[in-house]
Amino acid sequence: MRFYWVLYRTALKSIAEYRVDFAVGVITAVAMQLAALAFYWVVFTRAPALGGWSSMQMLFLFGLTALVLGFAEATLNGIWWLPYYIIDGQLDRLLVYPVNSLVFVLLSRPELHALGNMTAGAIAIAVAWPSVSPPLFALALLPVWVACGAVIYTGILVLVGALTFRIVGPWSAHLFAVHQLLNASRYPLSIYPRWLRTLLLYALPFGAAIYVPADFLRGHASLLGALVLPPLAALGTAFAAKLSWNAALKGYQSTGS
Amino acid sequence: MTTLKAPSARQLLHGFVVLAQKTAQTKLTYRLSTVLTLLASVTAYCVFLLVWLEVYRRNPHPGPVTRSEMLSYLVVAFLVNSLLVMSFEVRFLQRVRMGLVAGDLLRPLGFMLFQLAQATGDLLVNALYAAPIYAVGYWFVGPALLPASALSALLAVLSVGLGFLIAFGVSYVIVQASFVLQSGYGIFFLRASLHQVFSGLSAPLVMFPPSLRALARVLPFHHEIETPARLWLGLVPAQEIPRVLAEQAAWAFGLVAAGELIFSAVMRRHQLQGG
Repeated sequence: MRFYWVLYRTALKSIAEYRVDFAVGVITAVAMQLAALAFYWVVFTRAPALGGWSSMQMLFLFGLTALVLGFAEATLNGIWWLPYYIIDGQLDRLLVYPVNSLVFVLLSRPELHALGNMTAGAIAIAVAWPSVSPPLFALALLPVWVACGAVIYTGILVLVGALTFRIVGPWSAHLFAVHQLLNASRYPLSIYPRWLRTLLLYALPFGAAIYVPADFLRGHASLLGALVLPPLAALGTAFAAKLSWNAALKGYQSTGS
Repeated sequence: MTTLKAPSARQLLHGFVVLAQKTAQTKLTYRLSTVLTLLASVTAYCVFLLVWLEVYRRNPHPGPVTRSEMLSYLVVAFLVNSLLVMSFEVRFLQRVRMGLVAGDLLRPLGFMLFQLAQATGDLLVNALYAAPIYAVGYWFVGPALLPASALSALLAVLSVGLGFLIAFGVSYVIVQASFVLQSGYGIFFLRASLHQVFSGLSAPLVMFPPSLRALARVLPFHHEIETPARLWLGLVPAQEIPRVLAEQAAWAFGLVAAGELIFSAVMRRHQLQGG
């Protein structure tokens, strides 16, 4: 564990060197969140509620999604660099280290612009909190939901990222599909067709860590679901991610760079 | 001793066309990646569509656009957007990082035209992929997706061309930041966020709140998506068409010229990466 902590701290220090990048990254992350909020603004000038969710309740969903994204980017973001690691031959070097290769890859590249997403998420939740008026103990559960959401998001990125071993090229376009699915959690699952709802609740369970807790906080779902589903989904996704990573590594052929 | 002659206009055009073709061929080689990029855009866009369908379900008359008009608009806007997806920023960033820009500066075509030719190659491949998307859209929306008239189709194609130049120009201006930044995140996503809000990708500007609409109108982004989409659907009144196209052309050439000026200024101070 100590090794991974040192690795993570070193990676953080190395990217913190680029201060202008940090400032631009945070501003851009906030701009991206504002872009999504602008769409909320457009929609809520045309409809008072969406799928039975008021604007403030939706803001809660928005905030939770932004926090999940930010936390995942700040901690387990390295999978986005896998295509480059493969092409550069860095993965070959990594595979001979006496470490868990998946954990190493994930921790190797935290992003500081995550602070922008986390700040936007925290502000959205703080603004929505009084209107939604959830029970006080929900404050203690919030970090658990965010951590579970980040594990689910990263787990699905790893599942899809395993394709990188087959798709040769310096692109992470396939990972953007996962990112877009996470963004689908900004809206109530109730507005989606049944197949998409099922997908987002059980197969790629972003909804388990974002929609279910938010639905509980507005008084429409049970506490049990909000307590049990997020960690269960996180564990399941992490396990599936580990299996897919191991399977992908078995078929890995170096690029010879 | 031989002296280098400046290439003729014909030679420049030939170089441009060949480079665009080669870029298209390269992009077609990585089909799977392109298809996955499209899949990611379709996923994101389905969310917009589903949100609007819910809005119309709850409130059948939410504004000046009917449900059917909105559906047609969103599908056409998505198509236009998928045409304009370029790998320009990635290429630019890569060439600056690796010092390859040194070689590019010596090319007879010039750096900007070199990049524009490659972006044109991207556009050609995108057009290939847009055809099946249009077919799916047609199956979903029906004849409302057809152009209002042959003239509308022609004007929309012209407008897409100008929109492409605007998209290229905006990127060309923003991407210059890669000379001072280490990460590409800010470059890629700053443009993406502005484009997402102001281009009319998520809704026609007439559905925007007045203040947001006013801001969008004075920015160039709506000319990338909304203008071509409205022209295709015949939503631009005939007397407004010349003004709209002139505005598009002014933005397109203004932005490309601004990008070129900034690039020249940067090049006077830039120290090349030694590789």
